[in-house]
Amino acid sequence: MSKDKYDVILDTMPETESRLEILFRQAGDGFIQVEYGREQRAMLQDSFRMLAVNDIILGKGLQGLIETVPGIRTNMLHFDPSVLAADKLIGAVKEAEDSMPTVDDVVLPSRLIHLPLAFEDSETKKAVAKYLKEVRPDAPNCADGYNLEYMAMCNGVTVDECKKMLLGTDWFNSGGGFWPGGAFLWPTDPRCAVVVPKYNPPRTWTPEGAAGIGGPCVFTYTTPTGGGYQLFGRTIPVFQFACKHPMFKDGPFLYRNADRVRFHEVSEKEVVEIYGHVHDKTDYVYEIEEGEIKAKEYIEWFNSDEVQQGAAQLKAKQAEGTKKAPRL
Amino acid sequence: MLKIINGGIETLVEDWPGRLGYLGKGMSASGSFDNVGLGLANVLVGNPSGEAGLEITGGFFEAEFTDDHVIAITGTDMQPTINGQPVPMYTSLKVSAGDKIKFLHIGTTGFRSYLAVAGGVDVPAYLGSKSTCIFGAYGGFDGRPLTPGDEVKFGAPSADLGSLEGRKLKPEAMPELVNQWVLRAIPGPNTCPDYATEEGMDLLFSRVSKIQHTSNRSAYRLEELPMSFFARTDGGVGGSHPSNIIDHAYAIRGALNICGNTPILLVADGPTLGGYMCALNVINADLWKVGQGAPGRDFMKFQLCTQEEAVQARKDQKKWLSEDSLA
Repeated sequence: MSKDKYDVILDTMPETESRLEILFRQAGDGFIQVEYGREQRAMLQDSFRMLAVNDIILGKGLQGLIETVPGIRTNMLHFDPSVLAADKLIGAVKEAEDSMPTVDDVVLPSRLIHLPLAFEDSETKKAVAKYLKEVRPDAPNCADGYNLEYMAMCNGVTVDECKKMLLGTDWFNSGGGFWPGGAFLWPTDPRCAVVVPKYNPPRTWTPEGAAGIGGPCVFTYTTPTGGGYQLFGRTIPVFQFACKHPMFKDGPFLYRNADRVRFHEVSEKEVVEIYGHVHDKTDYVYEIEEGEIKAKEYIEWFNSDEVQQGAAQLKAKQAEGTKKAPRL
Repeated sequence: MLKIINGGIETLVEDWPGRLGYLGKGMSASGSFDNVGLGLANVLVGNPSGEAGLEITGGFFEAEFTDDHVIAITGTDMQPTINGQPVPMYTSLKVSAGDKIKFLHIGTTGFRSYLAVAGGVDVPAYLGSKSTCIFGAYGGFDGRPLTPGDEVKFGAPSADLGSLEGRKLKPEAMPELVNQWVLRAIPGPNTCPDYATEEGMDLLFSRVSKIQHTSNRSAYRLEELPMSFFARTDGGVGGSHPSNIIDHAYAIRGALNICGNTPILLVADGPTLGGYMCALNVINADLWKVGQGAPGRDFMKFQLCTQEEAVQARKDQKKWLSEDSLA
């Protein structure tokens, strides 16, 4: 074996005005990871571009391409190498990239899903209590029986301000994964970008519908499971195995790539009642607006002085908060 | 039909290649953990090699046939008997209504046995597959392991039972079960120089690690790696540990996650996306060996392999799991 026996970058595309350098990394004999840039960053424009290119790739109907799995800055291509050669697949991705010289023209279909949320509901509180009892009695993120105090502390804000931030931004789905029906939701407004560490060690149980945040990313738990995100409340079902409700007639999943989620505060009673109307009576009407994201408009807004100043102010608070909050 | 008397430690309905196309929906492929065991059992009874069969993990499974069938048992030898009489493995044989089949426990090699029935297991396909995802509790037989009183139905055989009986494998087609598994692997996507040191990767590819007893159908855990494995001091925006990165999709089955200092091989029911680096992938053609590695007993070693070798191995395996392997 040669000196570069661990080289995994099969090919690259150079950086352009509207895009980072692209790296094609090998990931076994049936996968290639397409990575945007060498730096670990979570910027929505990378995702906008990748999702648009992803549609072009899927539109080619390549025989042997099984699926694509976008993350926020990487796309994983799953293929059968006995049908589709790796270099042919890379060639097809390059072609798709070249066909899109600028991100300015990217317009993504993006529904806005309104989800009712009850902060500090009793079911999610049970998960925190169970964790304190069975996993880590001295967990500093669970002081006072919930995670919101800790979340606020980490970000140098009050609990009330923290709630306002969670409700004050749309959350963009860069792509699904992890657990059935799961979506990775990122804040569109950097002034509301709450950042928190994950549980250490993770929980063994979380109720269906619990809403949590880990790092900068929100996850709504689809079924009862373990988990490591800090919990702030409970929302309504976003997944249904039985596919009984009309929303799930084509499959058990609510979220689509590039959807946005906006939470609005309701009482716990209201959230609990909706469970019955989704799973049993199947007559709950989900509030979903058709819509789109125009990359150019978003990036201009994101880069505006007002947004950037607000983001910088939050970052300063977070730097202070991180010093004070106990490490997990 | 098969009436379950004792589900054993864990017996699941699994097919192959499992539930493909839903990684982005958070659903791993599941499927038979040892696809060679299932594939050969299917070939022996005249089924397509990916048809669903029963995956018997650990042993103690016991059941009664209510009709005449042709069956085959492969994988690890759990000393199967029918009505108390030992039956040969890797041979198709006829069973009659009222026959009771019983498995003991694993011997010194292997961890899973496969029971295929001519006609396959008749459970509804869920999202395109009959496989059980045990952690998500969906697919297969009600999304769960078989328990006493369950009645498992079978499909129609491909030929009359008489012509399917007595089929055997060529001796060279028998899979070899060992205690130290050599898994061919391709480095990536996160390796040196940016994520791991060359010395770290050398260590990963040279050491023999015990399979930790906490391993299961979603994750096979190996012994911890030293901090010198990592080329970074932290994971930046991804998190405080150098194994952390911004969440990305996992190339499962077969991706080796580095979770903190613990390497975890993501297998049948593993998570499809997350925030840990992946240092290598076990090649598709060697995944079956992982399923026969017994947690707490067996060892694993990774062997560097190229894409070309891996693709050739896939083709060879396809031929292996076909009628070409019949004596």
